[in-house]
Amino acid sequence: MSGLLALEVRGLRKSYGDALALESLDLELGAGHILGFLGPNGAGKTTVVRILSTILRPDAGWFAVAGVPNSRPQDIRRRIGVLPESAGYPRGQTGEEWLTYHAQLFGRPRSSARGTARRLLGEVGLAERGRSLISGYSRGMRQRLGIARSLVNDPEVVFLDEPTLGLDPVGQVQMLRLISSIAHEHGATVVLSTHLLGEVENLCDAVLILSRGRVVAQGTVTEVVHRAAAPREALVQVSTQLVERTLRAFSSGAIAAEALANGAQGEVRLIMPAGMSSAVAATSVMACLLNADVPVLSFRLEGGRLSDAFLAVTEASS
Amino acid sequence: MTAASAEVGTRRPPWTVVAGRELRDLWLGGRGLPLMVVYALLLSVTSYLVASNQALNFLEQREAVSLTLQVAVAVGGLLVLLGAADAVSGERERATLESLLLVPASRRQLVLGKAVAAMSLWIAAFVVAMPYLWYLGHGVGVVTSAVFSGLVVGTLLALFLAGFGMFTSTLAGSNRLSLSVCLLGLLALYAPTQMPSGVQNAWVGDLLLHVDPFTAGLHFLGAVIVNGHSFGAEASWLIGPLVAAVVAVAAALAAAGQLTLGSGDRS
Repeated sequence: MSGLLALEVRGLRKSYGDALALESLDLELGAGHILGFLGPNGAGKTTVVRILSTILRPDAGWFAVAGVPNSRPQDIRRRIGVLPESAGYPRGQTGEEWLTYHAQLFGRPRSSARGTARRLLGEVGLAERGRSLISGYSRGMRQRLGIARSLVNDPEVVFLDEPTLGLDPVGQVQMLRLISSIAHEHGATVVLSTHLLGEVENLCDAVLILSRGRVVAQGTVTEVVHRAAAPREALVQVSTQLVERTLRAFSSGAIAAEALANGAQGEVRLIMPAGMSSAVAATSVMACLLNADVPVLSFRLEGGRLSDAFLAVTEASS
Repeated sequence: MTAASAEVGTRRPPWTVVAGRELRDLWLGGRGLPLMVVYALLLSVTSYLVASNQALNFLEQREAVSLTLQVAVAVGGLLVLLGAADAVSGERERATLESLLLVPASRRQLVLGKAVAAMSLWIAAFVVAMPYLWYLGHGVGVVTSAVFSGLVVGTLLALFLAGFGMFTSTLAGSNRLSLSVCLLGLLALYAPTQMPSGVQNAWVGDLLLHVDPFTAGLHFLGAVIVNGHSFGAEASWLIGPLVAAVVAVAAALAAAGQLTLGSGDRS
């Protein structure tokens, strides 16, 4: 039922001339969740954000944001906040003036709009610079101002299109904290389009991966990683005298083993079957080595992260 | 319930918010004042030249007023056109349009607010022209008719140019294209004034002078101020500017309803 969902999308499709930007998107997202919206450059992420924020019209399909159908675009805009990709800012206005202006456009009286602007400037860490011209802001400050702009109407759903683009590592961390606070303190649903896969893994409840306009993976991070069946490897270190025995231990099972070129260090690489979960992989390896009476000096499981799944599903689709 | 919806009873129409912001940007931090200074200098030079010619009996006092008023109307219109031509395509080029399109207001309200700011350039230009008209025309009872006819013609032409500029700016992919098309259009409108008098007196030339809002408007000013004709006697010359203003404003509002992010909306 639409009322319980922050986002409901059915068969969304969009082309630019002959170029298909979005094939058919179906999506449901509950209120209060953070959705990681991933995909290589040109996958159609910005197109989706612009359609859902009513900037672009889809060629086909239907969607509802915060329970409002796409046939009422102004009502949708009243309930959403958006940080557009590569948004521009009026260089001749101060941050406070710009936020006040937008708060007024969302229907707040001038005095209330100014209060909202000051509160949001404080929340994004720009209280000290609110009365400075935007032309003097750094890239990170402008992005934070853009986040504040997306919150002037207390939105129910917030779309953030590449909010960390062009930020240094410190700026990225600050931005991700800010995004987390939008969901947890403002109680808004967040759709986060980004390339920072590691952070998505920690921050997002759900993930959707687009490639060439098609959904290639969707679900929780664990589900996506599992379904992607990304190749998984492990590195096990044993005593140099036991490398041969280790290789023999894995010779008949599903796990393939090979000694590394620098095998003198006693390192053996193990290749897991596709789709094997982390827990099963680790248990199987340890059981094998225990049975072969090989003491393990170190063990490191690699792969099986969102970045591996991302590469697997996007490469498979291209 | 969101805070925004709770305060819905006290909200201002979005076009007034946009107009207020645009007026502040134009007059407090933008190009409005520098443009007015240049315009005032141009009017000063024009007034000096016509006053000198008047002293040498080359120009009658009424002709001096008419000429100065025509310059004021033409340059005031040009300023409106420049302001309108930049209004939407400028936002598009500076990548600030998307944020504006995300507010819960109709596209027409956004464009209307910007058009109001562009029209303010004509109002300012007219106010600046008033002392010059008084200085050149006092004593011969022409100032009042000059002010009223200038206000009517100038406002119709300014509305036409604001509509034309907004229409072009809404559809143009870049600011350069919008300004080029607008200036080319303005030059084309001045072209009939350069026709040989023989052609102007033929029925085709007469029709063209009536249809072209600029030539018709300027002819109306000359007839009312120099020849002393009544508004009613020369009203046919106002049909062109009036129709042009209505059509241009309607076209601008129609285009505004279809306002999109433009060519940069692909991802």
